[in-house]
Amino acid sequence: MAVKGIKSNDRHILNLANIVGDARSIIYHKEDLIAYDCDGFTLHKHLPKAVVFPKNTEEVAALVKYCAEHQLPFLARGAGTGLSGGAIPLNGEVIISLMRMKKLLSVDFENRRAVVQPGFVNLKLTNSISDKGYYYAPDPSSQYCCTIGGNVAENAGGAHCLKYGVTTNHILGLEVVLPNGDIVEIGANGIPDEPGYDLLGLLTGSEGTLGIVTKITVRILKNPEAKKTVLAYFDNVEDGSQAVSDIISAGIVPAALEMMDKTAIEGVEAAAFPVGHPKDIEAVLLIEVDGIADGLDEQINQILGVCRKRNVREVRAAKDEAERGRWWANRKTGFGAMGAISPDYLVQDGVIPRSRLPEVLSRINKISEESGLRIANIFHAGDGNLHPLVLFDARIPGQSEKALEAGSACLQVCADVGGTITGEHGVGIEKREEMRFVFTDEEIIAQTDIRSVFNPDNLLNAGKLFPMPGRCVEIKKEIKERSS
Amino acid sequence: MITAELFAELNSILPSERIIEEKNNHPLGNSGLVKVIPKTEEEIAAILQFANEHGKKVFVEGSGTKRGFGGLIESADILLSLSNYTGIVEHVVGDMTLTVKAGTKFKELQEYLAQYNQKISLDPFCPTSATMGGIVASNDSGPKRLGYGSSRDVVIGLRIVYPDGKVIRSGGRVVKNVAGYDMNKLFIGSMGTLGVISEVTVKLRPLPKYESLILLSFPEGQMDEIRRFATKLLDSTMEPVTLELLSPTLSEKLMGRNCNTVAIGLEDVETSVRYQEKFIQSIQPDHTELKILAGQDAQAFWNQFYSLTPISPTDSSTSTQTSLKIGVINMDVTTVIKESHLLSDTHNLKVEAHGGLGHGLCQINLKGAKEDIVSAIQQIRESVTKLGGYTVVKHLPFALRQEIDTWGQKPTHFFLLDGIKSKVDPKRVLNPKRFVGGI
Amino acid sequence: MMSIKEADLMKDPACSTGLSNYLLKDHPDESKWADCVHCGMCLESCPTYEITGMEQHSPRGRVHLIKSVAEGKLTVNEQFMDPVFACLDCRACTTACPADVEVGGLIEEARGQIRQAMPLTGLKGAVSKVFLQGLFPHQNRLNGLGSLLKFYQKSGMQKVVRKTKLINIMPQHLVDMEAIMPEVKEPVRKKYKDVNVIKAKGESKREVSFLTGCVMDVMFSDINEATINVLTRNGNDVTIPKNQTCCGALHVHAGDRETGRKLAKQNIEAFMDSDKIIVNAAGCGCALKEYPELFREDPEWHEKAEEFAAKIEDISKHLYDTGYDIPKAELKTRITYHDACHLAHGQGIRQEPRDLLINIPGVEMVQMPNSDRCCGSAGIYNITNPEMASAVLDNKMQNVPEDVEMISMGNPGCMLQMAMGVQKNGRNQKIVHTVQLLDWAYQKEDGKGER
Repeated sequence: MAVKGIKSNDRHILNLANIVGDARSIIYHKEDLIAYDCDGFTLHKHLPKAVVFPKNTEEVAALVKYCAEHQLPFLARGAGTGLSGGAIPLNGEVIISLMRMKKLLSVDFENRRAVVQPGFVNLKLTNSISDKGYYYAPDPSSQYCCTIGGNVAENAGGAHCLKYGVTTNHILGLEVVLPNGDIVEIGANGIPDEPGYDLLGLLTGSEGTLGIVTKITVRILKNPEAKKTVLAYFDNVEDGSQAVSDIISAGIVPAALEMMDKTAIEGVEAAAFPVGHPKDIEAVLLIEVDGIADGLDEQINQILGVCRKRNVREVRAAKDEAERGRWWANRKTGFGAMGAISPDYLVQDGVIPRSRLPEVLSRINKISEESGLRIANIFHAGDGNLHPLVLFDARIPGQSEKALEAGSACLQVCADVGGTITGEHGVGIEKREEMRFVFTDEEIIAQTDIRSVFNPDNLLNAGKLFPMPGRCVEIKKEIKERSS
Repeated sequence: MITAELFAELNSILPSERIIEEKNNHPLGNSGLVKVIPKTEEEIAAILQFANEHGKKVFVEGSGTKRGFGGLIESADILLSLSNYTGIVEHVVGDMTLTVKAGTKFKELQEYLAQYNQKISLDPFCPTSATMGGIVASNDSGPKRLGYGSSRDVVIGLRIVYPDGKVIRSGGRVVKNVAGYDMNKLFIGSMGTLGVISEVTVKLRPLPKYESLILLSFPEGQMDEIRRFATKLLDSTMEPVTLELLSPTLSEKLMGRNCNTVAIGLEDVETSVRYQEKFIQSIQPDHTELKILAGQDAQAFWNQFYSLTPISPTDSSTSTQTSLKIGVINMDVTTVIKESHLLSDTHNLKVEAHGGLGHGLCQINLKGAKEDIVSAIQQIRESVTKLGGYTVVKHLPFALRQEIDTWGQKPTHFFLLDGIKSKVDPKRVLNPKRFVGGI
Repeated sequence: MMSIKEADLMKDPACSTGLSNYLLKDHPDESKWADCVHCGMCLESCPTYEITGMEQHSPRGRVHLIKSVAEGKLTVNEQFMDPVFACLDCRACTTACPADVEVGGLIEEARGQIRQAMPLTGLKGAVSKVFLQGLFPHQNRLNGLGSLLKFYQKSGMQKVVRKTKLINIMPQHLVDMEAIMPEVKEPVRKKYKDVNVIKAKGESKREVSFLTGCVMDVMFSDINEATINVLTRNGNDVTIPKNQTCCGALHVHAGDRETGRKLAKQNIEAFMDSDKIIVNAAGCGCALKEYPELFREDPEWHEKAEEFAAKIEDISKHLYDTGYDIPKAELKTRITYHDACHLAHGQGIRQEPRDLLINIPGVEMVQMPNSDRCCGSAGIYNITNPEMASAVLDNKMQNVPEDVEMISMGNPGCMLQMAMGVQKNGRNQKIVHTVQLLDWAYQKEDGKGER
């Protein structure tokens, strides 16, 4: 039976509409679809065939089964805040949006876990349990709007994963719709170490290429008894990054250890959440320790000692929770804030061994000089996870291409010093080619072999994560054409 | 005859003193006609390549502490021992990362790292003998998992020799990494069925500046009270690194008190540990006894604790040992410990059990007659299944493994596990029939 | 990427070059979307996104669509219209945006384009026409209707209104208000028709002008009366310039920027001699402050509009900034406060009205979760998009604490909508304007207006 209100002759649209049941759960007009032509990564765009909004696991399974049977490429999408293009319908996919599966299904405080649907927004989980003194640890900067389903796909990190780990360390169980439409439960009842290969670990961070997660059991944590947050201002980046290394070497495990350089400070101060960082400062560290209140002073004193040894100009401690909140808002909206000082930016996500920080920053500086593009650095210094933000103006011919090149060069530097090309944003479309900086062909094949077990026809989110010979050149060419 | 041929062929890869003919079958199984002891990754690769090309089966071991853990074949063609593939490849003190060869013994590593006030934040059993590769391949963890996690939280990179001899790296040497699939996870706990782990890179933690252990003993029959206490402690802002419930027999052995005891580990700066001790004393339930072990006394307690698991094949006709790993929802640990304790009467067994109230993993060591062991495992497995959990037999003589499935029922998604095995090891060279569902 | 050059904006529309499919003048302003880096931080702030989960009904999605028309990827048509007109114009995204993208302004400009390209038809068109052209600009017509009930019947909108249950709300709402406040029989503009300056009680400290609003003065003349009372009580001489008219907010929201400009010019001239213009309706205040937006292509009026906008002040902020007597009488009531979108997001006024309220002795303030979430009123949105408005309202009502007697706010549109929410959900809260409570406290202090 046809669904009322569908104005299309395409039998696939009609059939997909049938599965989701009503005209408000599918979009297929170009005017609406164009809103789905990219995610948080905007340098590549493609229209999907349709976007469907299932309400439950069974509908997801039915949609997947339909796509598999008719060889229609498809992919899953949450809030679309990913920064590497993982949800971009490169092949005109049917997008399965999980934004109508956004419930918190249950919370079990005694056993410290919660069950959520994939479209449930990260921060809402913490907000829902904070009255009982609990929180969900992974806190990507986009946590105001990104979904936990998307976090699982990308193995999202965040400022506090230095001490508490990334998404994969907090996932206890998953319900997954496989690319053939089968529904499987992995990590039954959220009990750790289920016998068998660790599919939980494999699926987390698989960027939506192995299956569609429809239910997630996560670990929740008790709020630390106390937190102390300080800002430390440095007159040169070298001192700031040495301080980072020294803090870690001193045996302190801060809850967060963030750094911003001068250009980044200019951006966040020009944007919506300024906090009054001095304008002439070269680097600011945002340091947070948490835990038992009685032990924190000792840690803070040790940190201050380290900073002083590294010629810190000024140190400020947050006077209250409100101030701490403002500092974090300033930091967490840092990427978007770049809009205030540059029409476009490209964010990179390399990771390096912490001790190589000063060297890497100076090499990034050099890349900036050579390309003529400003590069702001906002990063999780404690993890060695860098976010060089290449600032450019896509309207100026050639700048998009230059920005991509500069971004790639930054990743090459990270790989050169024994690091990696992405710490939390994922490979997606953006860094497919750069995978070669860190993996041999054989190692990449070892991974695509695993994909073929789950996703043999490669209908699910094809063209992501792994390099495809020749493709990268095409994208760059396309950008060049568009910007000229 | 076959052995001689094998010997000769392997001799082209390894010098003969590192190829040993295994004459007697081991009571725990998982033997080889010949045991080879490679010293380099190239040798490991060459051995696997040879086996892969010639249809030989290979078992892998470190120092043999998990020999009784799974496996339905008494002897493969080759027993690949990593006992001589040892040493630290790289330790970057400032980065707090460490790369070691798989055969390196855990305790040696911890002793080495202690000089730098660092440690690997794992607490596996038999740390003096267990090797890093074995700990990772079997995903062994102890009570401190509550505070520090397990191999999947600590391992950041691996080098794996694939069954065809290719060397594949997964992860890297940085603490945060999402480039490609998280392949590390695939090999952690895979029981060597996908590849031979040759190097392990872990992230390190600073040694705690101070540690203490609170032993809180409850009168008999107070499981509900234990549960209430644990819930209260977990709901507080205290940060115990262990919250391990010990069965009465285990408690008696470790501290001379025959009653259920909760072992609460505290590791932090001294002011913080002291503060937490006071808090715990303030919520100490009536009729319980509380004892605090500080510093080295706490360490000594744990050292004894980790050595308790049965590793040697001390099987005689009258006494069989087994060790079970049980996973349940956190607070159901109380039920598991209670039921396991009952086995000593119903099955005439010596029972030592403990389980983490903050993570849901239990270990039950049983000693007694074969038939009683078999029946006890079946009984425990049945009741754990009712709780929605699983029972894995971590140690059992080879003969009994034919009767009792080490891994329990196949999961519904078994086809995925089997698919992965078929893809990576299509000729089923490595540790055949060692893992879930006969993988 | 295609861009629109400044020069193109100034050109005759027929000569427009490039890929842009905006053919008419008064283009959406490119600089407004250039700051958007598609980060998505706005998503969760958007009530329509919350309900639909659809990207095209999110701020980021709408900006993307508007930009796509300029890039020639889309044309201005029915499908484009839907997401652009489904926006509540609540401005929550403006608060959420790290890069300060003015989504609201863009939406209004895009609506202007749509209105020029496609005249409204059908029910929505009829509603819009009756409200926007037939009524709001004509104070005498509004006055002449005497009561809303009559107006609804006459305008032929009764059916629509019945469907939204507004008809049941109105009398109840007035009854509630009457229970608290002194009876008001006529609009203040009528009442003070022949008064040049309403003198402060006691010492005069300053003179302010008062924008009475169009609907406000007819339906909520009690609030206007309260505003005058509170102002004069605190040393303000009040003038009500005669030529003032509707602020035009609803016209601009609906894409009728021409009428918007006409009304703006009239107001700018009417208040030429005023130094400060007090507004008690958040929606009007926000629109008045944004008059310069309407004259982007008219430098002369742009300057006048800038001067005018600088004079606009919300009543709560005015009192907070210039000082006011803290009432001595005790009210003994538990209340909660709803942030009107155009006060909180539009004008950044959040703390000032809360301060007024909690300083009244005996008023206990209960925090409303997500207090700055739109209630779904959004001008005449609740009439043009009843379904969405009702869904937004349902979400809002879930956050209203159960145990309060009153819900206070600073915008008449919200008051109607929240009153509807209270009734729909079988709740019993009274809906009050912030100044009404303050006035009530003063009245009580003076021995009048006992409940």
